Amino acid sequence: MVKARHQQPLARPSFKTRFRAYVRDHVRVLLFSLGKLYRTPFATTFTLLMIAVALALPACLYVLLNNLQTVTHKWDDVGQISLFLQTDTSEPALKQLKATITKHEQVENVNYISADLALSEFKNRSEFGDLLEGLPINPLPPTLVVTPIDSAKRSDTLNKLKKEFQSLANVEQVQLDMQWLQRLQAITDIIRRAITAIGIMLGLSVLLVVGNSIRLDIENRRAEIEVTKLIGATDRFIRRPFLYGGMWFGLLGGILALFLVFIVLLVIRQPAQDLVSLYNSDFKLMLPSFIQSISLIGSSIFLGLFGSWLAVGHRIAKIQPS
Amino acid sequence: MIELQNVTKRYPGNREALTHLNLTIEQGEMAFLTGPSGAGKSTLLKLIAAIERPTRGQVFINRKNITRIPKRKVPALRRHMGVVFQDHHLLHDRNVFDNVSLPLQIAGFAQVDINRRVRAALDKVALLDKEQMMPITLSGGEQQRVGIARAVVHKPAILLADEPTGNLDPELSAEIMRLFNDFNQVGVTVLIASHDLDLIERMNKRIIRLRAGECIDSQSPLDAQNFEIHN
Repeated sequence: MVKARHQQPLARPSFKTRFRAYVRDHVRVLLFSLGKLYRTPFATTFTLLMIAVALALPACLYVLLNNLQTVTHKWDDVGQISLFLQTDTSEPALKQLKATITKHEQVENVNYISADLALSEFKNRSEFGDLLEGLPINPLPPTLVVTPIDSAKRSDTLNKLKKEFQSLANVEQVQLDMQWLQRLQAITDIIRRAITAIGIMLGLSVLLVVGNSIRLDIENRRAEIEVTKLIGATDRFIRRPFLYGGMWFGLLGGILALFLVFIVLLVIRQPAQDLVSLYNSDFKLMLPSFIQSISLIGSSIFLGLFGSWLAVGHRIAKIQPS
Repeated sequence: MIELQNVTKRYPGNREALTHLNLTIEQGEMAFLTGPSGAGKSTLLKLIAAIERPTRGQVFINRKNITRIPKRKVPALRRHMGVVFQDHHLLHDRNVFDNVSLPLQIAGFAQVDINRRVRAALDKVALLDKEQMMPITLSGGEQQRVGIARAVVHKPAILLADEPTGNLDPELSAEIMRLFNDFNQVGVTVLIASHDLDLIERMNKRIIRLRAGECIDSQSPLDAQNFEIHN
């Protein structure tokens, strides 16, 4: 039997054409998956709010903690180091010692309190001042009060400085008043860890929220997935819109979370300033920096993508036309 | 083009859908597959489209053994086929054009080629003026024609159809069958499962009759002309 006119089979597109189609498909799916969210406004808003709240909470705590740490840096008298010198230290030796310490890169300034000055201050301040009147010599040593630079006001750095100064000539004893600082640091360490733990748990919940939304979407589109498989779509092609969907959840949820963080911080800004002004500090509540904002949105995108990737997983491979 | 050698398909629960079936459909042939419900018509089409694997026996498409084809090679195999369903399986969140263009999108064709091929396919099924419409707004016959356009848009060598006229009135059914015949005329191998005996006998093509998973009769067109229905 002779056929009238045989159709020519379509030639497989060239690699270049297929690559361009691949890029085009990515762009198409990017917009398509966004449109999909737009078409289900209620469910989308619900999911986005859950993501935003889960991310905003640890982010707010983190920003507050950072603020707390800058407050502690403002107290200049914290972390001062007192060097008690030998009473027989000569004037040139003392000058040289002061110069040496001033040159140290972690030292902000050095203040010299002579034995006489120390005695008169002691007399003024202490009710035992009269006791010293009876002594033939001044028992108080000359002192150098060292203020380290801000970044050195950490217990480990201060301890190192203390050891360094201890080894200098004519230094009798080095005293570090940092109990207060140590306590505060211990507290902020605990808070930091707690925030990290909360952040991890809430990040996990974002993963689950996105994963669940995507899983539902896959179930709703089961028939569609079967059809596209039947006309020769690969698993990767089918997976793509769901992964982009997770990416959009992450991006939009992250932006919303950042918005919430700013609202919360602006609300507590004034009372926080009122509180701190009671301590005579010119503290100003810091809002998240640009880098911090970008990291918040970035991690949100990551969680969204990862959540949808987990949901898509082998599920797409399991759905087969029947 | 399509060859089944001694194929048995058993589903879980020991139900045997096909039993020792031998069947060859030549390139460019058009054949109908008929028989009562549960005779194995759908199973046979599923084996050809690699939706199901045979329990025993071999399946060849275009001389390639697809009996144990790995999963990752299935998409490429299906791109050489077009499949038409009874309930057309259109995607309802996109318009007619996007539905029909899907096989070409998947295969990575350039947009100009896609536009040209989709319009050609829609022209063939006389729906060129409806390319921007959503499937839900079309009649049943039109939706089925969109499904056919999608099945042929990439010029497949094999066209499979499972009860393509199942939901249509006789006039529309005849029109759909004429379309399949047109595709067969340009060299496409066509295999249609249908229980509409009146209609398929009028088509004067080979008729393969299945009953309880066995091929009980396979008639060439010449026999069919003199064939009388025995009850």
